Amino acid sequence: MDEHNKPNASMLQVAKAVLAAFIGIRKKDDLENDAANIKPSQVIIGGLIGGAIFVVTILFVVKIIVN
Amino acid sequence: MAAIHGDVHGHGHDDHHPTGIMRWITTTNHKDIGSMYLWFSLAMFFTGGFLALGIRAELFQPGIQILEPELFNSFTTLHGLIMVFGAIMPAFVGFANWQVPLMIGAPDMAFARMNNWSFWLLPVAASLLVSSFFVPGGAAAGGWTFYPPLSTQGGLGVDMMIFAVHILGASSIMGAINIITTILNMRAPGMKLMDMPLFVWTWLITAYLLVLVMPVLAGTVTMLLTDRHFGTSFFNAAGGGDPVLFQHIFWFFGHPEVYIMILPAFGIVSEIIPTFARKPLFGYSSMVYATASIAILSCVVWAHHMFTAGMPTVGQLFFMYSTMLIAVPTGVKVFNWTATMWRGSMTFETPMLFAIGFIFLFVIGGFSGVICAIVPIDIQVQDTYYVIAHFHYVLVSGALFSLFAGAYYWLPKWTGHMYDETLGKWHFWLSMIFFNLTFFVQHFLGLAGMPRRIPDYALQFADFNMISSIGAFGFGMSQLLFVYIVIKCVRSKEAAPEKPWDGATTLEWTHLPTPAPYHSFEKPPVFKPVSH
Ligand code: HEM
Ligand SMILES: [Cu+2]
Repeated sequence: MDEHNKPNASMLQVAKAVLAAFIGIRKKDDLENDAANIKPSQVIIGGLIGGAIFVVTILFVVKIIVN
Repeated sequence: MAAIHGDVHGHGHDDHHPTGIMRWITTTNHKDIGSMYLWFSLAMFFTGGFLALGIRAELFQPGIQILEPELFNSFTTLHGLIMVFGAIMPAFVGFANWQVPLMIGAPDMAFARMNNWSFWLLPVAASLLVSSFFVPGGAAAGGWTFYPPLSTQGGLGVDMMIFAVHILGASSIMGAINIITTILNMRAPGMKLMDMPLFVWTWLITAYLLVLVMPVLAGTVTMLLTDRHFGTSFFNAAGGGDPVLFQHIFWFFGHPEVYIMILPAFGIVSEIIPTFARKPLFGYSSMVYATASIAILSCVVWAHHMFTAGMPTVGQLFFMYSTMLIAVPTGVKVFNWTATMWRGSMTFETPMLFAIGFIFLFVIGGFSGVICAIVPIDIQVQDTYYVIAHFHYVLVSGALFSLFAGAYYWLPKWTGHMYDETLGKWHFWLSMIFFNLTFFVQHFLGLAGMPRRIPDYALQFADFNMISSIGAFGFGMSQLLFVYIVIKCVRSKEAAPEKPWDGATTLEWTHLPTPAPYHSFEKPPVFKPVSH
């Protein structure tokens, strides 16, 4: 990634970025922070986990409604 | 500007590359290949359009007048296949070929020879599709979604279609790999991912979607092929298979596919709106994020195409909710485009007209999509003209309008000549009027219960069908105007201004002469990020 600062994002930051991505909204400062600190592999893994959580959540809601 | 042949040592061979037809067959230049993609898709657009007019001519009045039912079914099938795989997708790849290197400051695509191969596969596939009309049994007639058992029963035409889809899939995968590699490795020094123009971003994400789902399509048609010829029973209940399995696999490809056809359109519109509003794009980062999330979500909604195929309630609710949630990031995009225009100093040249037309009509298509996503409603409108209306609002006034917008926007850069603005405006307004005339009434037909893919219909549908057919012929004729405008532009003697759009900020406008030289960015440009 960047020369000056090594990417070192916390789990929380990755989670926040992924959530923001799902809704489609992100503040500019946060974004630049993300871009500098999150590794692409983190985004991909975070995105996959986020996708799984998304699916499980809907399933959960559906189960509650059906019962 | 860097002279075209400034660097004699590296490029002496430029002077004796083949001319005439061999130039086009052997070319590895992204601009040549981009142009070929665009001309090819234009030709396919008219081929598919011819089939559409055949359909609308038959449906002009109730009763069977000009097309036998079997031929009618072939027309609808090949219309869909040719428009999706022959017109819309290659057109976007053509834009990517021209614009991605120019917008990221790269000298060419990463794999120039593979690029040539991806293009030249297309005419082969197209010939297979078109010539299948003339083989015994005729062309495939089971719909562009080729559900079994219809597609396991048809004749040679179906095999030709399967082969064509294989070839087209291979071409798309190669194109996608090329685009991904180019974008990730060949950006001008200093251009970070988050500095890339949105068109490049949307294509990057689209290319990943392509790599993800085209193999699924290839697998589906291969299973179909083995079911047809090698005694397997993947989709044959008599042999222990399941025809509904086909629908699941097809739509696991099919829904991401519709986003493959719309994400680059979002990219084009996101370039044009800021230029003509003379303001930076509102919420650049939201746009990137929204595109990424649309791509991810598009993989978990596929069964909204199958609500009537039989599914447990849990499944219906799941796919209903996930589909409706996809409207959220889409809504974010529409909001951002609108906010970009807000208090901008707007002018309304043809690219901007098509971009605004896109937003307006795409929203209508998005709404009808959400309506289709509601299970109890969809059970009523599934396989009616309502669905036809929905997807033509997103594909014609969505994808196609964005292609027109992009063509007008970049024609001066490509050809060095300006298109005729008055005629461009005529093209827009005629398209706008006739498009709505054709497709808006199809909502009413669908709600009233007219099924899709039928050559004849009950009398109560007659009036709206007549209106729709008149609109369709008007729309088709208006597109001839587009061809005239493009040819006139290419042939024109007058040079276009260096930078016809004063609001443009991307590299192709700021760092290259007009027209873009045959070899551009042989030395990477110095990229200064503009704040978004
Ligand atoms: C807000 C976004 C969207 C939603 C909620 C949505 C929802 C739906 C639903 C539920 C159906 C199935 C209707 C049925 O068969 O009964 C459908 C069909 C379809 N949609 Fe969308 N859609 C959306 C956007 C798009 C876009 C952007 C495209 C393409 C650019 C598209 C293209 C299609 C096509 C081609 C079909 C019909 C396929 C066929 O049966 O032949 N949709 N849509
Ligand atoms: Cu869908």
